[in-house]
Amino acid sequence: MKEQVISFELNREKVEIYADPALSLLRLLRSRFNLIGTKEGCGRGDCGVCTVLLDGRAVNSCLIPAGKVEGRKVLTIEGVTREGLEKGAKVHPVQQAFIDKGAIQCGFCTPGMIMSAYALLRDKPFPSPEEVREAISGNLCRCSGYKQIEEAILEAAKAITEQEGKW
Amino acid sequence: MSYSVTSSLDRALNVLSESMGQGRVVAGATDLFLKSLSPELVDVSSVPELLGINRDHGSLSIGAGVTHAEAAASPLIRLEAMALAEACRQVGSPQIRNIGTIGGNVVNAAPAADAAVALVALGARAVLIDLGKRQHHAAVEELYADYNLSTVDSSSEILLRFLLDLPARDEGSAFLRFAPRQALSLPLVNAAARVRLKGDAIESVRAVIAPVNPAPTRLYETEKMLLGSWPEDDTWRKVEYTAASEVEVRGSLLRCSAGYRQHLVGVLARRVLKKAVERAVKSRMGGDGS
Repeated sequence: MKEQVISFELNREKVEIYADPALSLLRLLRSRFNLIGTKEGCGRGDCGVCTVLLDGRAVNSCLIPAGKVEGRKVLTIEGVTREGLEKGAKVHPVQQAFIDKGAIQCGFCTPGMIMSAYALLRDKPFPSPEEVREAISGNLCRCSGYKQIEEAILEAAKAITEQEGKW
Repeated sequence: MSYSVTSSLDRALNVLSESMGQGRVVAGATDLFLKSLSPELVDVSSVPELLGINRDHGSLSIGAGVTHAEAAASPLIRLEAMALAEACRQVGSPQIRNIGTIGGNVVNAAPAADAAVALVALGARAVLIDLGKRQHHAAVEELYADYNLSTVDSSSEILLRFLLDLPARDEGSAFLRFAPRQALSLPLVNAAARVRLKGDAIESVRAVIAPVNPAPTRLYETEKMLLGSWPEDDTWRKVEYTAASEVEVRGSLLRCSAGYRQHLVGVLARRVLKKAVERAVKSRMGGDGS
């Protein structure tokens, strides 16, 4: 397709880019904005490593035509990290919990997992283990076995509510 | 050559008119994006006429642009069309459900699309609008031209909403699927049913199974067997047998053998019909049917 101007909010900043609207949002983020925290796995919506938030909801960025984000809000793992930094922490509490709980092995699924967890905790600050498992059911991890990831997300929920008002 | 996002139905229709058959409607894009994109796309996922879930003159009206996540969580759909809520909750993954729409689930015309199977069982009618702004209605099962091919021409018409009769007090519906995993897995077989009771008998029943044909398929023989009586243990055994015998299924290397699928058709038909009857009984007794 011919390139066109796409205006949207990326990690809480207004951006405008001249790009092919048929490019995937994933490619747009990685190659045009150099936001390489979002990974490409299967490229067809099966693995969830490319998860970002679109208007606050977790989506597979590999399945979103860039043209679709016109006028909308996109949040990537870099935006989550920045939120942590801006509030005086090293990283966001969800990221910290993944580190503390050893919920990372090879790390490739981690950005997607964290985005799904972040979306969950925005909607449900006190999720049950079942709700955590459902929230990450679209994210594949081929090394950890999910247990530590589930624990990390529950730990993050606790950390966020304990620092009430901050996050 | 463009991708336009619009929140105006008039504008969407104009884009299609002006594109001389080259334009296509797109909503969630999750399926379309993996196939091929037309040179001119008009994104209708924020057009108000395609959004919203409400009661409307004795019908439940569900926008074609409603996402699976919205449908699964909607209190109104859970109350009046439980089969659809259950189906939408099991499509793809949370990420897919957050953006994929039920209109897209139908127009993509996959033979075992969960939401479509539930909509057919519920007796849903699609409301479409053409470029001359004429609206027409069609039963959801009539929207299938072939495997993965809809009769809806996305270059010249837009699917607006689904309408289904609000259930009476004595009604219940249910949806079930059988898949290798609980998430991110295509169903080997899925089934949905809607049942209405009158006194001690089943007064009306719609049982649907997929994938058997291009469209979700009614189990007419099984329905006939259940009509006018009260199902006992023996009836349920017959339901399983009749359902499995009245359809011809194919095996696939990707999914499962024909024999296994035939078995699943019977088991799922029995379970889903039984569940719909149980819900109808519960609803009659004043429960919420869930």
